[in-house]
Amino acid sequence: MTGVTANQSQDLAVGQSILLLPRNAAVAALIAYRTAISPLYGEVCRYYPSCSAYAMHAIAQHGAVIGSGLALRRIARCHPWAAGGVDDAPLKKNFRYTVTPRGFVVPASHRKG
Amino acid sequence: MDLLSLILWPLKWAVELILVGWHSLFSALGLPPEEGLTWVLSIVGLVLVVRALLIPLFVKQIKNQRRMMEVAPQLKKIQDKYKGKKDQFSREAMSRETMELYKKTGTNPLGSCLPLLVQMPIFFALFSVLNDSQTGKSGVGPLNEELSEQFGSSSLFGFAPLHMSFSSAMNAPGGPEVGVMIVAAIMVVLMTASQFITQLQIVSKNISDETKASPMFKQQRILLYILPFVFLFSGFAFPLGVMFYWLVSNIWTMVQQFIIIRNMPMPGTEAAKEREERLARKGKLKPAESAAGDTLVVEEKKPSQRQQPVGKNRAKKAAPKNPAVAAPKNPATTGPKNPSAPASKNPATAPKSTAPAATSGTPQAPAAKAQPEAGTASKNDGK
Repeated sequence: MTGVTANQSQDLAVGQSILLLPRNAAVAALIAYRTAISPLYGEVCRYYPSCSAYAMHAIAQHGAVIGSGLALRRIARCHPWAAGGVDDAPLKKNFRYTVTPRGFVVPASHRKG
Repeated sequence: MDLLSLILWPLKWAVELILVGWHSLFSALGLPPEEGLTWVLSIVGLVLVVRALLIPLFVKQIKNQRRMMEVAPQLKKIQDKYKGKKDQFSREAMSRETMELYKKTGTNPLGSCLPLLVQMPIFFALFSVLNDSQTGKSGVGPLNEELSEQFGSSSLFGFAPLHMSFSSAMNAPGGPEVGVMIVAAIMVVLMTASQFITQLQIVSKNISDETKASPMFKQQRILLYILPFVFLFSGFAFPLGVMFYWLVSNIWTMVQQFIIIRNMPMPGTEAAKEREERLARKGKLKPAESAAGDTLVVEEKKPSQRQQPVGKNRAKKAAPKNPAVAAPKNPATTGPKNPSAPASKNPATAPKSTAPAATSGTPQAPAAKAQPEAGTASKNDGK
């Protein structure tokens, strides 16, 4: 009985991991960009967090598609006539996953292990 | 891919127009139209047009940096608050507060992501224009077949075709073209050097000591030394024409950065100190400019809390007394620091501030309370 439920939750976790693949791929790409390319031109963004950090948060919270949309809107907002300031990515209301310190998204059950 | 070419189409058109425009201008001035030099100069012209169009953005940025002088005291207050705190959360909180200050005062010194975003597609457009001309395709607009072929086959110093890259020269059908390879290698070195100098200028002079101490910055600094080498390798794949554009653009940035750092440095940086020294040597420095930090801090030291209402009789008693003598008792003059009234609101700072009240600590305590997180600022009046 307990074995079955454990199996089920494991299956769920595996399914979730697959579901989370696109957003994690996007997060990985953004991490690469933030370590390799973005330091080249220094700090330019008029907001905190910067556009790429915003994109990472947005994609982690809302997935690759909606997150990218939010990020594009933010980049459009980041022009020299904008006031700037603190502008965090909106949080998802019922966020079911866990975000690792690096920014990757994992199924919530992973945290216990 | 199709979507990308659709997006690039208008940019390619504009790039071609500018290139052909400069080319016909130079031809009209008497340079041979099919000569490589004419096309190389046209690329320089393209850089000039693009960067000149971006000047207004930089002017705006410089204006904002100048206005930073006005908020420098407030900025320093934030920096003092987080002095010595190098953990990630303090850094983040500091960035947030700094950004909030910029927004509130309208003095954001950062240039936004737009100039970069504008330049990248132009770069790609030039890349694809050169690539197309290499394969004999005519351009999408003003660059007709004849001009396109001319452009593609025109060469730098008479032997290094603009469409060739280091890798394509190495794998040329008739054996490696060493001359082209040498030119490409020199260009890569120059390009990397200019990029490196530009970044070094900013990093070594135009960043405040506080930022320099952060672990994030140290990581960035290491990357600064690694990245030129990454560039070195990726640079080999670009056609000479694109590299030439990049090189001229880098030189423009370098000079622009030099002028900005020299004349309008970020306050609190080494460049700012150097500028003050230079001005002092010439005797041009106004005393107000150097003392601005201190005078403005004094203005900040207004008690933020409401003064306790004082009855007429008590006020009369308190008024004739010398404030310095009254300080230890402080019945009315320093209302907010009266331990009985606001102690419950701010237990961390209020009891401490009574002790050094007679000394210079007096005006400091209300200023600390004005900050939202008084607990972190309490170290100021603790000593």
